[in-house]
Amino acid sequence: MGRILIVDDTLFMRTLLKNILFSGGHTIVGEAGDGDEAIAKYQELKPDLVTMDVVMPKVNGIEALKGIKTFDPNAKVVMCTAVGQEQMVKLAIKTGAKGYIVKPFQAPKVLEEIKNVLGS
Amino acid sequence: MAVVPVKIEKDGKWVVSKIDLQQESMTIAEPIGKAITYKSVVDLEEKKNLLIITVKGDPPLIYRIASVEKVLQAMKRVIIMACSAYRLMAYFMSPAVRGGVMVTNATWEKGAIAVLKTSIWFVSQNKQVSVPLNEVTGMELTKREVQGKQVDVVKIDHLENTDVVTSFILCPISTLQILMNFLKDATKDLETSGEELDPLSAQVGMLIYSGMDSHAIENMLNISHKNLDEIYEKLLKIGLIEVVFVRKEVQLTPRGVRFITEAVKPPSP
Repeated sequence: MGRILIVDDTLFMRTLLKNILFSGGHTIVGEAGDGDEAIAKYQELKPDLVTMDVVMPKVNGIEALKGIKTFDPNAKVVMCTAVGQEQMVKLAIKTGAKGYIVKPFQAPKVLEEIKNVLGS
Repeated sequence: MAVVPVKIEKDGKWVVSKIDLQQESMTIAEPIGKAITYKSVVDLEEKKNLLIITVKGDPPLIYRIASVEKVLQAMKRVIIMACSAYRLMAYFMSPAVRGGVMVTNATWEKGAIAVLKTSIWFVSQNKQVSVPLNEVTGMELTKREVQGKQVDVVKIDHLENTDVVTSFILCPISTLQILMNFLKDATKDLETSGEELDPLSAQVGMLIYSGMDSHAIENMLNISHKNLDEIYEKLLKIGLIEVVFVRKEVQLTPRGVRFITEAVKPPSP
């Protein structure tokens, strides 16, 4: 089980992910609503894994991923985005994302992916 | 080509028989004793270790055939490649996304796509995927990066058991458009255009999709049981959800209160 930081600009998606991850036995150590906050919270909390929304105001998920990777090259980040933006996968993976979730998602599959990434 | 052992349903009972798979037809041995040309097959459904073959006629003839996976695979391949269906050669990737998670080892397979009366079939040398049309949840013509280039693909979202799965079909754009029109026509009963949801109902829908139960939805959205029931009614009415079971909310009767009170008392010395 892991200590997880959830990054998403919508409260609804953060709450949904929090519920899913909590039901899987994970601890939610923090939440962030944009990329800047995500980088700051990562440095402060040093979570085992980050779920990162791609499309966010100000600093987007890809930029935040770069920021986190600069601070910690071993950071485990699972990107999360809407249907139709799958082209971002390559860019995110190239930048160092360990996994990718497409919204809308199903709880068991998300938990499976998180488990895989935490175990990698 | 090959003679394969099968069981066939006859008058409600399963009987042992054999099927001779030939180039353009198959012959079912006694006690059925029937030759069927592949061209006369208008539908093919798959249910666990069962193939349901519908043959053109008035009324149509339906054959339920059970056998081992290897035999059914051989039958599916020959029937799909020669039956009466809209069929095209294409590349497909199925599944590409499962439950919102990218399938990392998904690859493009070269094969055929066939649209039949009740299902779409993806058939390659190694793989046969059947997607019942009533389990198609969405489709669109979109772009996807293949070998560094943005190419047109048809994206099909469908259910596989309880998983929501996304598959892609890749072929020349003119063929994709024909395929899209064909699929749209075949799934027109599932179209949802014109139905608009208020933001709260849409959030409830998203939570159901994610696998949340009623209690979790009430807590997450901070709404009452009554409010949630009203939203469910709305979603039921437009056919977006179905009732799986009715949950009971109960309280103790005076007899129940007495029973529980007695039960928690420490045993007398």
